[in-house]
Amino acid sequence: MSEVALNETNVAAGTGVTRASVLNRLRTTDAAFRTLTRIAVLTVLALLSGVILALLIGSVPAFKAFGFGFVTTEVWNPVTEKFGALAPVYGTLVTSFVALVIAVPVGLMIAFFLTELCPMWLRRPIGISIELLAGIPSIIYGIWGLFIFAPFVQKYIQPFLIDAFDGVPGLQDVFAGPPYGIGMLTAGFILAIMVLPFITSISRDVFDAVPAVLKEATYGLGCTTWEVFKHVILPYTRVGVIGGVMLGLGRALGETMAVTFVIGNAHTVSASILAPGTTISASIANEFTEAVGDLYTSSLIALGLILFVITFIVLAIARYMLLRLHQKGR
Amino acid sequence: MATARTNALYVRRRARNTIAKSLAYAAAAFGLGWLVLILGVLLFHGFGGLSLSVFTQNTPPPGSEGGLLNAIVGSVAMTLLAIVIGTPIGILAGTYLAEYGRHDKLSSVVRFINDILLSAPSIVVGLFIYEVMVAPMGHFSGYAGAVALAIIVIPVVVRTTEDMLRLVPDTLREAAASIGLPRAHMIVRIAYRAARAGIVTGILLAVARISGETAPLLFTALNNQFWSLNMNAPMPSLPVVIFQFALSPYEEWQKLAWTGALLITVTVLALSILARSLTARRT
Amino acid sequence: MSIASSNVSMTAPVASHTGVNAAGLAEKVSIHNLEFFYGDSRALKGINLPLYANKTTAFIGPSGCGKSTLLRILNRMYDLYPGQRATGQVMFDGENLLDASVDINLLRARIGMVFQKPTPFPMSIYENIAFGIRLYEKLPRSEVDMRVEHALRRAALWDEVKDKLAASGLGLSGGQQQRLCIARTVAVKPEVILFDEPCSALDPISTAKIEELIDELKQDYTIVIVTHNMQQAARVSDFTCFMYLGDLIEFDITEKIFTAPTDKRTQAYITGRFG
Repeated sequence: MSEVALNETNVAAGTGVTRASVLNRLRTTDAAFRTLTRIAVLTVLALLSGVILALLIGSVPAFKAFGFGFVTTEVWNPVTEKFGALAPVYGTLVTSFVALVIAVPVGLMIAFFLTELCPMWLRRPIGISIELLAGIPSIIYGIWGLFIFAPFVQKYIQPFLIDAFDGVPGLQDVFAGPPYGIGMLTAGFILAIMVLPFITSISRDVFDAVPAVLKEATYGLGCTTWEVFKHVILPYTRVGVIGGVMLGLGRALGETMAVTFVIGNAHTVSASILAPGTTISASIANEFTEAVGDLYTSSLIALGLILFVITFIVLAIARYMLLRLHQKGR
Repeated sequence: MATARTNALYVRRRARNTIAKSLAYAAAAFGLGWLVLILGVLLFHGFGGLSLSVFTQNTPPPGSEGGLLNAIVGSVAMTLLAIVIGTPIGILAGTYLAEYGRHDKLSSVVRFINDILLSAPSIVVGLFIYEVMVAPMGHFSGYAGAVALAIIVIPVVVRTTEDMLRLVPDTLREAAASIGLPRAHMIVRIAYRAARAGIVTGILLAVARISGETAPLLFTALNNQFWSLNMNAPMPSLPVVIFQFALSPYEEWQKLAWTGALLITVTVLALSILARSLTARRT
Repeated sequence: MSIASSNVSMTAPVASHTGVNAAGLAEKVSIHNLEFFYGDSRALKGINLPLYANKTTAFIGPSGCGKSTLLRILNRMYDLYPGQRATGQVMFDGENLLDASVDINLLRARIGMVFQKPTPFPMSIYENIAFGIRLYEKLPRSEVDMRVEHALRRAALWDEVKDKLAASGLGLSGGQQQRLCIARTVAVKPEVILFDEPCSALDPISTAKIEELIDELKQDYTIVIVTHNMQQAARVSDFTCFMYLGDLIEFDITEKIFTAPTDKRTQAYITGRFG
């Protein structure tokens, strides 16, 4: 289709518009559209860079004032303007750890249930219901946690734990202290429920991908359903499961509203997980709007930077593992 | 076979199997139980406070009765603006990833970054917007809140757009090319149409996601106890109002917090179910 | 007179057309009036068939004739899939293994299966074999070692892997993986071994090795093999069963099936006119 040949043809409508001019117009809009999509993609790139840059710039005053000791100091005193990230970082890590300790086994067992035990007609409804848990906004978990769950924990669970571990060397201090109801365990538990649907959903997908013939071969040896799961399905899907767990961890680390309501907002590092504490996101959420003074604000932004870095690393690992899974075709 | 059946090892194996299966059932019941518990409590407390005044009156000062009108309107306004800003960027970026740059280096980097943004803590987004909009402007604003929400919308839309466009078979693209349709036109007229339901689903999911987001609004749009349509000033929103009211000692405020929570949850779940049914119909 | 159309009781010795007396052969498994359903559709119609002890029986037939379906009934593999069911009798050791009261796990330990695709477990070569052994017997490590070596020797794999027992089973070639699966099955000491097209995913050299193996295994086990490769059936089996569209068309000594079949359809199949 040469340009010359086209120029010689006129569109039958006889409006004087040649096919060439139409094609020209099409070509420019084509290029314009392509450029637009490129700009959009670069915008996404710019966003992340912008976030990192803004956090870095904002936290410079804090790091200049405190150095890297910022991360290891527990002190958090707006009056004397001495700030340390230890308590929030500790709280973030502990609550996320508690969340995973609960959510990973439960999530895996739910995925086991959904893929091997559940009758076919129930699979979709139950699967969807568990995923609805992920859709509930975190502020709902927060307000539910504060008004319903925390009092319950205070009345029944914490006293039970305190008594049960009383006198047990080592663990006594982990489950010690007055039953406030709120605290790191409560926050961790609520995080567990929020993270559960992520782990269940990804585990379920990878379990489903195990080739039927491999499962049949295991059953063929006379293995029970549990043995098939434990010795074949789990090892086979190990990489995907870890990816899912990392994703859940990423969510737990950054979770703000649910935790803010029930963590107690105390800038202290306690041995007991029943004690109040704080997390990075809870500190920022609670204090940012009232932060007076550049150093205070900068310290909070520095906290944000630390959180972002931790989350970035965890999410990168998660993505790497899930990508490896897809590449292997498993 | 009888002797084998009483084989001690086998008996133990069977016991372990039974225990494991029971634990799995228990786990499923546990997960479902929490869903029922949370939604149930929400309905109970929120429904009690539901009345017409919730939708006709603004947020009250402490200790008095009122409604959530300004908060609802504020949320809707910021959500709408966020969608208007974020969706085009998200769709265009997703289009690049699926159509133009499917395998190039830029795309792999952007996909990685998009995944990070997708799961990044939303409070960090709030900090970012504070630094680039609120601080320079000298005041909080609904615009800042909307932009913060837009940053949360973009990764969701990019992801779903790319996934949905990828599902469109290449044979369709080849057919369009064979009649001389240029790339852009093929994408807009054919690929978008084919992936329409999926892309709309992505937008719905994004809306569901930002409807419940509180953290990014805390220091961008801040809050406003009065009726306001001025986007250039602090803007009220349902999530932030709930945050403030729930943590207060005032009973009327707490009741409104529950009702607000119910409203948000119903909206989010309805959107999720709608989105799901859209994609289900296609398959 | 082929068995399919005879009214002779299944426990009586079989008289075959060529006059070779099959008397004196014990039946390891006896199938009576077996029917199989996928949901509402009937896939196997009234199958009657003996499987003789320490002999190899081959199931042949065109795609979709039901030979794999029939094989998978023998170790109740269909139990994994709701909606699939079997009626009739499959007598094994005096019990009808289709009965709900039969312990499926123990049944599968006595009737083992090797699949079309090699399926090594995600474990080391040693563990692949030891895993099965440990399911049923509590043995000291040295004994397990011996059993593993014995199984690998039986599968003609020992020399090739004896230096890398700790390596992953997935690192072996296709033919080696399949022999590993055979070793794994043999380690559990079954009485019957079912082979579902075991060589269709393998190269000719591996295929030859495995056919040799099957021939040796016959001494200690009862073998049933499904194959779409007629030459393989002719080489490897003592008895052959030809199936078509869910029916058992003809069952007889292999030599007879391939040289002078009774049924026209059998004739058509083995001469390649269809399937």
